[in-house]
Amino acid sequence: MTVAAGVGYALIGLGPALSIFVSVISKKPFLVLTVLSSTLFWLVSLILLSAAWRALLPIKSTATWPYAVLILTSVVFQEGIRFVFWKLYKKLEEILDLFADRTSKRRLFLTDKLQIALAGGLGHGVAHAVFFCLSLLTPAFGRATYFVERCSHMPFSLISAIISLGFSMIHTSSMVIAFNGYAQKKKSDQIFVPVIHMIASIMTLINLAPGGCVIGIPLLCLSAAGTLLYCWILVSRRLRESHGRPAT
Amino acid sequence: MERSILDSIGMEIVGVMSPVSICMLLVVVLVSGLSPPSSSIDSSSSSPATAATLVYLESPSDPPAEKLVGALLNAAVFVALVTAVTFLLVLLYYYNFTGFLKAYMRFSAFFVLASMGGSILVSFLRRFSLPLDAPSALLLIFNFSVIGFLSVFSNAVPILVRQSYMVALAIIVAAWFTKLPEWTTWILLVALAIYDLAAVLCPRGPLRILLNLASSRDEELPALIYESRPTVSNHSESSVELQPQASTRSNPNPNPNSDPRQTVSSRQSFSSSTEADESIIEIQNHAETYPLVSTERGRDQPERSWSDLSSSLGFSEQDNELESTRGIRLGLGDFIFYSVLVGRAAMYDLMTVYACFIAILSGLGFTLILLSIYRHALPALPVSITLGVVFYFLTRLVLEPFVVGASMSLVMF
Repeated sequence: MTVAAGVGYALIGLGPALSIFVSVISKKPFLVLTVLSSTLFWLVSLILLSAAWRALLPIKSTATWPYAVLILTSVVFQEGIRFVFWKLYKKLEEILDLFADRTSKRRLFLTDKLQIALAGGLGHGVAHAVFFCLSLLTPAFGRATYFVERCSHMPFSLISAIISLGFSMIHTSSMVIAFNGYAQKKKSDQIFVPVIHMIASIMTLINLAPGGCVIGIPLLCLSAAGTLLYCWILVSRRLRESHGRPAT
Repeated sequence: MERSILDSIGMEIVGVMSPVSICMLLVVVLVSGLSPPSSSIDSSSSSPATAATLVYLESPSDPPAEKLVGALLNAAVFVALVTAVTFLLVLLYYYNFTGFLKAYMRFSAFFVLASMGGSILVSFLRRFSLPLDAPSALLLIFNFSVIGFLSVFSNAVPILVRQSYMVALAIIVAAWFTKLPEWTTWILLVALAIYDLAAVLCPRGPLRILLNLASSRDEELPALIYESRPTVSNHSESSVELQPQASTRSNPNPNPNSDPRQTVSSRQSFSSSTEADESIIEIQNHAETYPLVSTERGRDQPERSWSDLSSSLGFSEQDNELESTRGIRLGLGDFIFYSVLVGRAAMYDLMTVYACFIAILSGLGFTLILLSIYRHALPALPVSITLGVVFYFLTRLVLEPFVVGASMSLVMF
């Protein structure tokens, strides 16, 4: 249960992200760079957040509200960061189109745009999984394991791996949803993303209650599945629409 | 189906980043895999006496001020040594002592692979208590080093083998450097980044002289350099495709494979792209370097095929030139010191490793973008090392308590 356990937890948390990376991202160097820059973006946002919260940590009180405030500010900040990322992407898209015109190549296809959005989301998701799951896995590679008092049903590494799995999927697909929403100026999609992020984060607040993780984690996985489904429906609709009329 | 422009952009950047990532990854694995036994028998006291710890040998009980001063002195001495060795190299190269340089570099590549690689092999065997008799171990090391020794120099060796040996050399030296005491490592990294900046960008910087000399003689740079030359079959297709795009420079990710030194038109598809603006730069570049080398022109030119030189412990003098006649070329020293940073971060925690990894790769990407804008050889260490060091300390001081605190109470977002 040493190395095998560590690798297993890592694969639970990062497995889907890894398969997306291998099957889609790694084939196109530009997408690799997008993942990288998106990861950097998320890391910077996390560092800024933690710098702001540094003085107030660690939270000693057992009350829920400091955590609630923390979640609220973090989610709001990260959604703001997502918007900045969108703005940057918009600039990049213009440059890419200009570049394509000059080299008399095709402009970005719809699938290209979706892939860039996917890569951006994957970067966020991977960064989340890396910092909240992978970097805490060091004890799992040893002979022992670690349990949190509040949730003694499962090892801590397993819990964090499952949570990271949920969040990486949420981040990945919500970036696609958000980019579509911004591009098409659809308010419902634009609002859906922060809301689902907030809901998923609030689900983790349930873990604060003793034994709450039995409820909180399945709910989190449900909301991740819901986001994935929504993203699937949205993308397939867009693809159908673009097939219907001649490509612009 | 028509291919979109996404397929081709950024090929070179990823072509450089992936070996750097592999190198860093392996160093981290090596460091974290080999450190547990040595930490039990206090590793800090057994840190080797190298050129980087000439003045001061850190012990954990020293007060911070003493450590700082000692580390600064160490770094200063090391950088001074590196500068001296680099100037010596430049001098030798200037007077065409290439035969000597070649022999020296041959020896040192062999020496590094055999002795340092051997010592790593020994500690690896000891760590996992693998039974291996001495003759086979010697035979293994000898074969390994001989192939490396050959591949470093001849063009007959497949490029993949050569690239892997470059990465292997970098890993071995970086693993060695991670044994330095903590403060010295950090100060040394920063000092080298500054040195790198000065040596490449100052008008009389040694590396700049070396680069100009090499370019005006139409030779390869006499240094251990990783070439991301796309000779692997699946790459070549796309590299050809990249050619027509070389005309746009406003793009953030154009192929940064062009350089004033485009004249070195040797056997590569890359060198076929010469455009108006490039040739102007070329001419200027030559005009400014001709006075320096005009006396050299008459002498016998060293043969074209010799490519890479190294120097045993003073690798760092070659650290940095990102320059590109065919593909992007990155000095081995960059590989080494990136990996040293990540390896040092690995001794603290995994979280710092990831942060430094991302920071270094972003810095490298940024440098490559700068390269495509300025189009002459740039130092690759400063941006990456600065970002890496900043992210290391931010992660250690700020990020880790936050993330650990939040995730220990199972609250994530």
